[in-house]
Parts: sequence; C-alpha cells; structure tokens
Amino acid sequence: MRSLTVLYDARCGLCSTARYWLEGQRQIVPLELLAAGSAEARRRYPTLAEAEPEELIVVSDEGDVYRGPHAWIVCLWALDKYREWSFRFAAPGLLPRVRDLVEWLSSRRHRLSRALRLRPDAEIAAALDAAGACGSGHCAARGEGAR
Amino acid sequence: MEPNIWPVWSYLVYVSISVSLTMWVARTLHKNGRIFLVDAFHGNEGLADSVNHLLVVGFYLINIGYVALALKTAHKPVDLETAIELLSSKIGLVLLVLGGMHFMNMIVFSRLRRRALHDVAPPPVPPQARIPVKA
Repeated sequence: MRSLTVLYDARCGLCSTARYWLEGQRQIVPLELLAAGSAEARRRYPTLAEAEPEELIVVSDEGDVYRGPHAWIVCLWALDKYREWSFRFAAPGLLPRVRDLVEWLSSRRHRLSRALRLRPDAEIAAALDAAGACGSGHCAARGEGAR
Repeated sequence: MEPNIWPVWSYLVYVSISVSLTMWVARTLHKNGRIFLVDAFHGNEGLADSVNHLLVVGFYLINIGYVALALKTAHKPVDLETAIELLSSKIGLVLLVLGGMHFMNMIVFSRLRRRALHDVAPPPVPPQARIPVKA
C-alpha cells in the first residue's frame, strides 16, 4: 500500500478540523484528503459517490475500501505517532467500543461542530464567495454566476 | 606521624570495582542486545553490529566518565570502617547509574525493534470492499 485517500464530510466543522489535524501529522503512508461528494471524488470513485457522506471512507491506492470505524483506525494507522494506537483500537477488546464511539460522534457531528464552534470548509468557502472576499477575478465571476 | 594511606587504597579499590562492573554490564548488553538489533534492522547484521558497538562505546564513555568524576571525596577514610563506608556509598551510586543506563539502553533496543515491526505492519482492520481504481 503506497497511499490512502480519505473522503471526509467537508460540510461538517468537526470533520474539517480533523482533516487539518491529519494533514499536520507525520504520515507513514501518505494521506490525501478529499471532500466526499466533490467533483474530484466522484470522478475518481464513481461507485462510492454518495449524495450524503454519512461515514468516513478511506480508499487505498490498491482499491481497498474502509468505512466508518475501520476508516478511522486506518487513518490512525497511517500516522507515525498513532500507529501504535491503531493496533490497540483494532483489538477485539476495544473494537466494539471504538465502533460505538465512532457511531456516536458521526451521528452528532453537526451538532457537536456547532457546540464547539467549528466551521466547516464548505461554509467558509460559501461565506467568502458571498462576501466577494477573494480578490481574484475568477473567484468574483463565480460568485456572480451563483447569484 | 604516618601518612593516611586509606584514601589512596579506597580510590584504587573503587576504580577497579567500578570499571569491572561497567565492563560486565557493557558486555552483557553487547552480547544480548545484538539479537534485538538484528531484528530491528530487518536482518541487516552489519548495521546491527555497528549500532551495537556504537551503543556500547557510548555506555563506556558515560559510565567511566561518571566513575572518574565521582572519585574524589570530602570525607577521607581514616580506618577500615570509614573506608568500607565510603566504598559502599560510591559503588552504590555507580550501580544506580549503571542500572539507569542499562534501562535506557533497553528502551532504545525495544523502541528500535517496535518501530521496525510497525513500519511494515499491514492495517489492523480488513477492508470492507474492493473497487477498481483509476490512475
């Protein structure tokens, strides 16, 4: 396995924050973060395209697909500092609890993001577009088109 | 009045015991650490032997350096009793330092080995599906 693509929910603040955290960590296996449902994600993985990304999906360069709790564990496994933890979390004693925790967090991610005031990338992008804050002509033109 | 010979004899005994202890621990490390290192370096015996040797050199330098620095005493022994007391406290400290160094070496060995095992380990969970991938 040479690389992993992580499909995350860019409309969720918690997930966007997690994205930057993942990108900031030292990786043993390089991670590429893609917003689930984005054009690039649909182009690359047409069979995985889902309108509402309800769970984290990780796809390896060999086509192995990990979903939900398994995807979380594989993300940790890819990180230098947390590979140790991925083995612990995947052990039979902890896996059911990890599953519960991931389900609990995933189902409440929007509410938690609001409570923690974590802004999703998609919302910030929309706000920037709406305010016409980006200086480039390309960006402004897209804003006009949307209106 | 005869000169006090107790300090000189105490120093000599101290140095010989401390250096022998250091050599014993270093040899033990060298002999038994090798297999860990060979495993940690994926069977690369040349690299393992080289790292093993370097670790032992560092071990000698630090320990003999400590032994040398700790030699001098402010309370000079004047008879057998005070000489034994001095030797026991000096050698006790050397043993503690040796123990600490030995422990550090063990940590280095096990870290190297664990890292080596982890770097090649596959994901701990199986994939739930397999899809064809486009370049």
